[in-house]
Amino acid sequence: MRAREIDLKLQEADRFSAQEMEWLELGPAEAALAEAIVTEPADDGTAEAAPIPWRSADRRRRGRLLGLAGTAAAAAAAVILLVLGGGSQSPPRAYGAELVRFAESTPLLLLEGPDWRVQNVFQVSSREGLEGSMEFVTGPPIPYESTKISADYTVSGMAPKAVRQRKVELSWRQGELEFPAPPGAPAVRPVESPVLGTTGLVNPRAERLYIFTRTGERRIDLGGPGDRQMVGIWKEGGRLLEMRAWVSNFADFKERLNWLTKVDSETWLDAMPAKVVKAADHDATVREMLKGIPLPATFRPSRVPDGGLTTNRYQVGAAVTGTVSCLWFRQWGQARRTGDRAAAAEAEKAMATSRRWPILREMAKDGAYPSLVWQLAAAMPSGEWRRGWRLLPHAEALGCARQGIPVLPWKQRRQNERAEISGRPLDLRP
Amino acid sequence: MARNATAEGELPREFAEARFSRLYEDHEREILRYALRRSAEPQDAADVVAETFLVAWRRLGEVPVGEEARLWLYATARRVLANHQRGIKRRTRLAERLREELRRQLPLQPASDRPVLDALAGMADADRELLMLVGMEEFSPSEAARVLGISTMAARTRLHRARRRLRARLGEEWEEKQRNEIEMGEAR
Repeated sequence: MRAREIDLKLQEADRFSAQEMEWLELGPAEAALAEAIVTEPADDGTAEAAPIPWRSADRRRRGRLLGLAGTAAAAAAAVILLVLGGGSQSPPRAYGAELVRFAESTPLLLLEGPDWRVQNVFQVSSREGLEGSMEFVTGPPIPYESTKISADYTVSGMAPKAVRQRKVELSWRQGELEFPAPPGAPAVRPVESPVLGTTGLVNPRAERLYIFTRTGERRIDLGGPGDRQMVGIWKEGGRLLEMRAWVSNFADFKERLNWLTKVDSETWLDAMPAKVVKAADHDATVREMLKGIPLPATFRPSRVPDGGLTTNRYQVGAAVTGTVSCLWFRQWGQARRTGDRAAAAEAEKAMATSRRWPILREMAKDGAYPSLVWQLAAAMPSGEWRRGWRLLPHAEALGCARQGIPVLPWKQRRQNERAEISGRPLDLRP
Repeated sequence: MARNATAEGELPREFAEARFSRLYEDHEREILRYALRRSAEPQDAADVVAETFLVAWRRLGEVPVGEEARLWLYATARRVLANHQRGIKRRTRLAERLREELRRQLPLQPASDRPVLDALAGMADADRELLMLVGMEEFSPSEAARVLGISTMAARTRLHRARRRLRARLGEEWEEKQRNEIEMGEAR
């Protein structure tokens, strides 16, 4: 027996062949494990298992680019409200109770600097509570920015200094009044500053990044003299507020902190870009967005969720294309399980056209949701997201279960069990 | 909503999470498979996977990039497994769900009916590991050497000997099987 024959015999005897592994339905359990690991606190309890010391076989080898925009698609489905556009100069209007409730769930803050306006509002409901942010800009709109740091630590994708300094980000979340430094990085030395009747802390050198490398932490300076990023934090009503801005100096940052003003809900809503408060014709928008999209037999416009507050085209577009895609993925999954080749091929063919869906092409300028749809569609013929990774659990990232169209069989069963418990009729539609 | 590479403290965590999820997506399944092949009970493999990736998360700064990351994970999983085999078994709550799924979907296999596995089981640990890394995980001898922390030359030499020993064992079993069949034939 030659060496190759020995290896073949070993492969034949393998109880966990690639094919057998393929049958395992472990996606949700594997995802839960990954999620649990990244929430684990630092602890040396398991450190002895690491292979130390590890010496690279090729020290000149360079790593791949680390993208920063990868998680945007997953976040998109949880967004309650996102608006983009110009400032509103319209006269005072009466707002619906739902909008007022939404406004009141935010900190009701505006940046009342000369010629500054709201560009973006974003709030998600997480396990920890409501988290949100606002972008204030002056001058022309500032597009979505995706910064990358390559393996040789060069930075690309940052907006020019003059553009960065026209934007202020305000965010809110649960948290402590502190600047946690990453392990190995020097502690932040904050400066106290008054803000909205309380005392906040300012990190005046937030443009310095510390990233992990094989040899330890490495510092990258994204700014320089006259181009600093500063972050101010303070507590209000149990939540942590944060203002982040690129400025020339500390005096400029303090000026922006002083511009922050607490307002009532009507004033806050008045400051929103006009299209937030115009009760958009949801149904007409959905119909318009469906143009050029092949629809499965199970599609009804009423299946597109209408959050009431989702008036931004990006969010409506995500709801529309998400609904259609989830229905196609559900059909595809069922067809593959039952061996219905025609139905699977129909779904693959329909999703293969997604690169040409006008609304996705429009949305691609503002975020990563279209790219996720396209990647999922491209993976349909192989049935694998990546080698060894089944596609359907990843298709759920479109928010299918949240939209009431779970694509995984166990999620469908759970949905039907819940419906049964609550006394609602079962959703047995494909 | 950290969209920019600008946060001190916040961004490294984002980097870390992005890097970790890439590592996990790319390699979790194969580490699970590696652990399953070497665990007495399928659910033990869940703990090995959980502990291996927990080490990776906590020591992300030490995890090399590219193909080396894969070897690093295997080397870590090997140390975790060695600890388990020494009785330092951790039942981590992190792996509860994966453990339960493996228990449900992979009921305990009956004793092996595959002579190669029987032959492997009777071999020295070092020989068995090298044979499995090359034969089942399909590593080259130099990659297996990296996982085992030995030189490529040592791995090649040991592999050659280990294959010879396995061949001999399979030969013995083959002869024994033939003998048994002849005896059964005569008894009839």
